[in-house]
Formats: sequence, C-alpha cells, structure tokens
Amino acid sequence: MKNILLVIITLQLFIFDLKSQEWIVPDDKKSKLSTFPFDDITRKAGEKLFSVNCMSCHGTPGKGNFLNLVPPPGDPATEKIQRNSDGEIFYKITTGRGQMPSFKSVLSSPEIWNIISYLRSFNKTYQQQVMAVITSSAYPGADIGLFLLFNSSDSTVILRASATKGNSTVPVTGAEVKLLIHRTFGLLTVDEAKTTDKNGMATFRLPDNLPGDTSGNIMVSARFVNEELFGSSTKDTSLCAGIKTIPVNLVADRAMWNNVRKAPVWLILTYSLGLLTALGFIFYVLMKLRDIFIVGETLSSEKPSKEK
Amino acid sequence: MKPDKMEESIITSERYIKKIDSVSSDILRNVRINRGFILWMGFLSVALAATLFAYTIQLKEGLIVTGLRDVTSWGIYIANFVFFVATSLVGMLISSVLGLSGAKWIKPIARIAEIIAVAFAAVAGLVIISDMGRPDRLPNVFLFGRVQSPILWDVTVVTTYFFVSLLLWFLPMIPDLAISRSRISDRPKFLIKAYEILSFNWIDHKKQYEILNQAVRVLLILIIPLAFAIHTVTSWLFAVTPRGGWDSSIFGPYFISGAFVSGTSAVIIAMYFFRVNYKLQKYLTEDHFEKIARVLVLVSIIYIYFNINEFLVPGYKLKSIDAVHLKELFSGHYAPLFWSVQLLGLVIPVILLLFRRMRKPFPLLIISGFVLMASWLKRFIIVVPPQAHPFLPVQNVPAEWLVYKPTLIESAVTTASLILVIMIITILSKLFPVLPIQEIAEEETRAEAEQLNSN
Repeated sequence: MKNILLVIITLQLFIFDLKSQEWIVPDDKKSKLSTFPFDDITRKAGEKLFSVNCMSCHGTPGKGNFLNLVPPPGDPATEKIQRNSDGEIFYKITTGRGQMPSFKSVLSSPEIWNIISYLRSFNKTYQQQVMAVITSSAYPGADIGLFLLFNSSDSTVILRASATKGNSTVPVTGAEVKLLIHRTFGLLTVDEAKTTDKNGMATFRLPDNLPGDTSGNIMVSARFVNEELFGSSTKDTSLCAGIKTIPVNLVADRAMWNNVRKAPVWLILTYSLGLLTALGFIFYVLMKLRDIFIVGETLSSEKPSKEK
Repeated sequence: MKPDKMEESIITSERYIKKIDSVSSDILRNVRINRGFILWMGFLSVALAATLFAYTIQLKEGLIVTGLRDVTSWGIYIANFVFFVATSLVGMLISSVLGLSGAKWIKPIARIAEIIAVAFAAVAGLVIISDMGRPDRLPNVFLFGRVQSPILWDVTVVTTYFFVSLLLWFLPMIPDLAISRSRISDRPKFLIKAYEILSFNWIDHKKQYEILNQAVRVLLILIIPLAFAIHTVTSWLFAVTPRGGWDSSIFGPYFISGAFVSGTSAVIIAMYFFRVNYKLQKYLTEDHFEKIARVLVLVSIIYIYFNINEFLVPGYKLKSIDAVHLKELFSGHYAPLFWSVQLLGLVIPVILLLFRRMRKPFPLLIISGFVLMASWLKRFIIVVPPQAHPFLPVQNVPAEWLVYKPTLIESAVTTASLILVIMIITILSKLFPVLPIQEIAEEETRAEAEQLNSN
C-alpha cells in the first residue's frame, strides 16, 4: 500500500512541474521561532488541534493516508515537510495556498506553534531553537489582561487593556487590538483593528445582523495584534449581541430523507393506492377464475359435457 | 385471447373441431417428457449446480470474492438485473400494446413473449439477492423498508409484475389445457393431472369465454402501467442520485425504450428456436418474422433517439462530472465497448433490417443475437462506468480497487441466473402448449370461412 502510494506520488511529481510546486517563504519569515520551548504539554495541545484542523487532508502523520488531491497535501511526518524550518511551517500554516486554507484567522500564534511542536515529535533529529529572549515586552514582568464590555444600546464593544504588576494596575496604551467572532470554521474579524487610547480602551462597533445561538449569544475573542510585544493574552466572552437563530431541524418534518414514519403523506398515499389498485385487479381476476370453475361445474352437471 | 364478439357459429362448426384436432396434434407433439428434454434439463441442472457452488463460496466468504469494492459497488449483478427486468417487459409490448391495438399476427407469438416475461421477471428478483452480501437480511427490506426508497418500490413492482405476467401466460391457456387434457393420455400421469386441475372445469362454454375475456382484458390493461412502473422504477434506482452518468431526467423512457429492444430480440430468438426445434414452421411463418423484425426496427430507432438525447445533451454542456464520465465512454477506457454496443447492437442492425432479405428468420436470428448481447453490455455501460468518478475524493484504497473487473465467481453466479431463465423457459414451453391452440384454430377457421364466403 505504501509502495503504491509512493508510485502515485512519484508519478504526480513527474506530471506536475516541480518548479511550480515550490512554495517560496520570505526570508524574514523563515527564521521565525517559537517564543516557548516545545514539551509534552504543547505536543498534546498540538495533537488535538491537528486532529481538528489538519487531519482531514493530511491524514495521521507517519501513516501516509492523506487525501488524494492535486497537488497532494503530503504527510507531515515525511522528510519533504520536516526539512522546512519552524518559521517556514509557521508561514505556510498561516498563509495557506491553493486548496490549503489560511489558518491566520482560525488559529492563534501559540496554537500554530503547538501544532508545529506536535509535528516535530515525528522528527527524531529535530532540535528546537527557541527565541532567545522575548525581544522587548512593553510591560516587562506585568500581567496583561483584556476586558470586554458590551453596550447593547449602540451595539458597541468596549475593550480595556491593563497591565498588573504587584498591586499597581496601569492601562495598556497605544496597543493595537482586534476583535474576533467564533464561527463554525475559524474566526471572523469584526470592525478594524483599533489602538487603545490613554485609558487603555478601544471601541468596536458590531454589525447588527450577526447570527447568534438560540438565545442570541455570540462568542467574541479579543487579542493584541502584536503578540510578541504585548503577549498572547486573549479574552473569550459570550455576548448577547446576535440575532436569535433557531437551527432548522432537517428531520423534524415529513421529508424524503426522513425515516418511514415521517415519509411525505402524498408518497405514502401514492404507493399504497398504487399497490392496492394492482392487488385489487389481481384479486378481481382470481375471482373470475373462480367463476369459470363454478360455471364449468354447474353446467357440466346440468347437461353432458360439450367438450370435444 | 378471444375477440370480444364471440361468434358461436365458428366455435361450434365442424370445420373448427377438425382444425382443433390438426393444430393440437402439431403443437402437443412437443409437449412430452422425452429423452431430449431429460438430457437438456440434466445438462442445465449440472451447470446450475456448478455455478451455484460458486455462489456458496460467495455466501461463505462474502462479496470480497467478487470484483465489487468501495468505489464500484454495483457490478454485473446489477447490470444483469436491469437486463432481466428490461427483457421481461416484452410481454407487455407484444400482448398488450400490439394485441390491444388489434394486430392479429401477434397471436401465436404472445404466449412466447409471456414465457420470456415470466422467466426473466422471476429470476430478476433472485439476481438482486445475489448482489447482497448478507442475503439473510432480505426480510429487513420489508420490515424496515422506507417508502421513500426506490428500492422498496422496485421490490414491490417486480413482484407484482411477475404475478400478473404469470396470470397473463396462464389465463389465455386455460382453453388449450382443456383441449389438451384428453389428447395427452400417453404422457406422464402428473402432467395429465396438472392439466385437469389447471383447466379449471373448462367446458368450452360461451359463458366461460365471456368471463375469461373479461379477466384477460383487465390483465392486459393492468400490465401496461405495471410494466412502465417496473422499468421506470429500475431506472430511478440510478436517476435519483446526482452521480454523473445517472443524473438524467430521461432515464425512465430511456430504459423503457431500451427494454423493448432487448425483449423483442429475445422473443425473436425464442421464436426461431421453437420454429425449428418444435417444427412449427406452419404457425411461426416467415411473415411473423417479417412483422416482428419491423417491430425491432421501430423500437431500435426509438432507442437510438433516446441515446442521442442521453449522450448529446450532457456532451454539449460538459458539466465537469459528466465530462470525466463521457470522455471515458467516448474515447477512454470504455470506448471500445461503448462504440461496439451502439454500432453493432443498435445502428447496424437497424440498417441491415431495412433490407427484406435480412428480415428472413435466419438472418434475423443472427441480428437479434447481436442486439441481445449488446443489450446486456449496454446495461453494464449504464451501471458500472459512472461509479468510477464519485464526487467525494477516492482515498485510502489500493489502486487495484479503482477499476472494476468481474471475478470468475461473479461471472459464474451471473451464469446461474441465465441458466435458471433457460430452465424456466424450457419447463413452460415443454410441459405446456407453446402456441395458443384454440386461438390459432379459431383464427384459421374464420379466415377459411371468410374466404369461402367471398368466393
């Protein structure tokens, strides 16, 4: 099976020009490194994320059971993918190409690093290089937090960023922040990225036609745009800012695709009436056969048989 | 069947009684269990046993012994099923469509057509079971079947059609059984007994003819919608899916017109066989072959017309999924099969049959052989190639699973179904009069009487 797949892969490599397959990563992105060391916890987290976001096309790493697409997605455990630098893999996951979607708005940077951590566990020779120091934190040593407040009267979300160190709390000013809404696949950026004012506040305007859950709740997430500088602190909050959406239950009503108890009435009637009509006529014919028999019996007993 | 206005004068005339004697002696000559019959049935039984042994392997090992896999899960079993259902439709065409429209020449052929219909419809249901990996779960179709599923409709109409065809074969034969029961005294006891029971106290009385005519007329009309239903539903088994090559709105008429082609050719082959082996040249005349050849041309032209629609319209639009499929048929893997079926089994036969010389019994037999074989292969083309291009990507399967190739066991099980059909035809045509004695006698008497009158 593996050999066959190898043959298929090799053939496809011949068919499709190798050059056009090349995926160029800008030099400055190639050397990007994770801000944290990979360990069992990051690998576990990465495995979970991989199974949700990547496995459907790339298969299980090391098994070679990726989808038969053109170009082939490839098994992440193979040398072809493992020879990429961490920064290259990070770039490719972030931007995507062709049938591979961009995960920029789906996964946060730490989540992507967790996935890379998981992928590297299939590479025996891999040795991680961690970014030496967090280059320049805006608030060294402080705990940076984000807070959200929803103002339903004008559909705005007010974000406040603050840094806490010991007993003192100061607003995080001049930081670019973005607001995201959770969708089935990935996150939707709402409004534009804003910069916090001198009070550490930024205001986002929500569209008033956002579909929410059955009670109108939507899950929003706030993040810093520059996570290297301000840290990867996120704030996930459920806000009652959407339209109540009752999902359509496709098997609630009578339908073609439903079970037999919920079959369309017209179909049940057509089928039963058709069958009954046919059976009725067959019954009629059998009764006629009986008549022939009876007529024969009575007539032959009345007078001698006419049969020749 | 007797005409509506029964002319009592004819069936009581002396001439008619003499006619019955001569016709019945010609036709009943073949109704016997002779050495040939025993040898032939013995041969068929041995062949059937051998092919059924192949089925026991499939029963034990499962469908893995066939060529059916994830991608192509319907193979020659289903193609064969469609062919059987198609061929059985000819009973309706000959007896009802032509019969009710007043074509007198079909009288000697009608029973042959019904025999074909009964035999093929009876085995069609069994063919479906051979396609099941777990035939023991067949009752589930009835226990848990969904009224929304064409599979349930198909099971219903195939069964009903079989019974109505059986009645349509049997009912018009009742007068013949009554005529025959006193004339087969040298045949085995069980046969005489069977004739006695099955002739339902028939005493050739006017009243009985009236009842019989009513019953047969009901059946002849009932069988028309039934036959349309049986094959339209069979086509819907395919057409209700969005798969390229099956997703067609003309699949119903396409199947029915194709059914008439395969059925007519099967009847011609049977006619030739009975004419020669049963020495019935007097009743199955060259004129009958001439007429049925014209029917074959007509139904073939209709089928060609539907073929043009079925392939030209999607071929013009070339939706991506159709394009892959049509390319396979027109110039790809299936091209040799596709073009031989269309040309050798449809276009060339029509052209040849335009010549009177080709409508003679023997050339017609050869042409019908080609048409019938092509009909079978056509069902293969309809069933198998569209499955090679599913909408979902084919993944995680070995490369050898991608191309369907029937295995020996599969072919053997399919052969078993054909043997069964031949066995049923043999029994129905060897133990019962293959031509309608009473109707032929009456028709000939009437023709002679008319001739006398005009003189």
